[in-house]
Amino acid sequence: MTTTTRTALVTGGAGGIGRGIGARLARDGFRVLLADRDATAVREAAEAVGAEPWVLDVADPDSRREAVTRTGGCDLLVNCAGVLRDARVRRLEPPVFRRLTEINLLGPIALARLVAPDMAARGAGAIVNIASRAWLGTFGSTAYSTAKGGLVGATRSLALELGRHGITVNAVAPGFVETPMTEGLPPEVRRRTLEAIPVGRAGRPDDVADAVSYLAGAGYVTGQVLVVCGGRSIGAPYATPVEEAS
Amino acid sequence: MSTPVVEVAVRGEGSVLSAVRAALSTVRPAAPAAVVVPAVPGPGPLAELGDDRLDALVGDTLDAVLADVRATLGQPLDRLVFVLPHAPLMGVADGVAASAVAHGVLSMARTLAIELARDGVTVNVVAADVDAPAPGALAAQLGALLGAGGEAITGQEIYLTAGTDLGRARP
Repeated sequence: MTTTTRTALVTGGAGGIGRGIGARLARDGFRVLLADRDATAVREAAEAVGAEPWVLDVADPDSRREAVTRTGGCDLLVNCAGVLRDARVRRLEPPVFRRLTEINLLGPIALARLVAPDMAARGAGAIVNIASRAWLGTFGSTAYSTAKGGLVGATRSLALELGRHGITVNAVAPGFVETPMTEGLPPEVRRRTLEAIPVGRAGRPDDVADAVSYLAGAGYVTGQVLVVCGGRSIGAPYATPVEEAS
Repeated sequence: MSTPVVEVAVRGEGSVLSAVRAALSTVRPAAPAAVVVPAVPGPGPLAELGDDRLDALVGDTLDAVLADVRATLGQPLDRLVFVLPHAPLMGVADGVAASAVAHGVLSMARTLAIELARDGVTVNVVAADVDAPAPGALAAQLGALLGAGGEAITGQEIYLTAGTDLGRARP
């Protein structure tokens, strides 16, 4: 009996959630290509989780092609790279909006286009897009919410298009997750955020990684959004708006 | 004494624009209002969605929607409605660009409803299947959202499909 090692490409691999996903997939037996724009950080993260580091700018077409080529055949694409810098719509600068669209939405779609032919040729593959609970609307996050909503839409459409080739496409929508990116939240914002989470705690990267691990092997689940938010999305209505993050 | 006529600003170049204009001809808004009709891309398979095409169909289109929204916010505004085609919102095969734009606008509207509530601006989405057998539905719905009583309706997504989407999970 021969065993074939599956390969996963995880973008945003140096971030808290991406690193957690990489670690989980490595434990699941994947060969993990952990990719990120930050070369130093991704090397450190990859070494820590038993993955191969790769420098990737998801907004750069050449960089995307090089990463997919490096996989040598991608069985699982996890689109986790993302940026959060944002503002209320009245203060949102169009270049910032476009930059968030490029990284959070266009890059993931482009990567899906690059991995799909090889997956289709093998008749199997999975794409997991890391969206966000902001897809449901979040104060002060016009650009981020728009891009993540677009990613959910892309997920549904790609699931319909690629399902016939044995490729599943799903999204995970994390809520508030403790990562280096959220460490700088003002204490009052943090307190009010946690109060709105029914399970009474912030999410952890492992919570998101568990969802990705499940979807990576769930061949009969496609086009779905798995909201990993501790119940926040069904909990209290949107509270008094907090100050914008940027 | 006659009631002053309130004009509805219409922005965007979406496929349902003519239906929206026709519907608005029968609507009497109760407050300053704008309707944005995004130009959602047409169908096309993923394989043909190269980098430049993706940038243009999705990136440029969403930029245009933001520009339309910012323009509406530069004028007196109490009611904002986005009208989207129903099919890409529900999801269509070979329609990733269309679904990305439609869902992006949907989430933008959700966030705007939250952000603009403090300013007294309502924001809603109407998903229209213009081929559905309910020709008066769009006018009736726009009338409800823009007319008297509409000030209490915000953050809602209304599917005008005459039931053509029953049994499918909405986004």
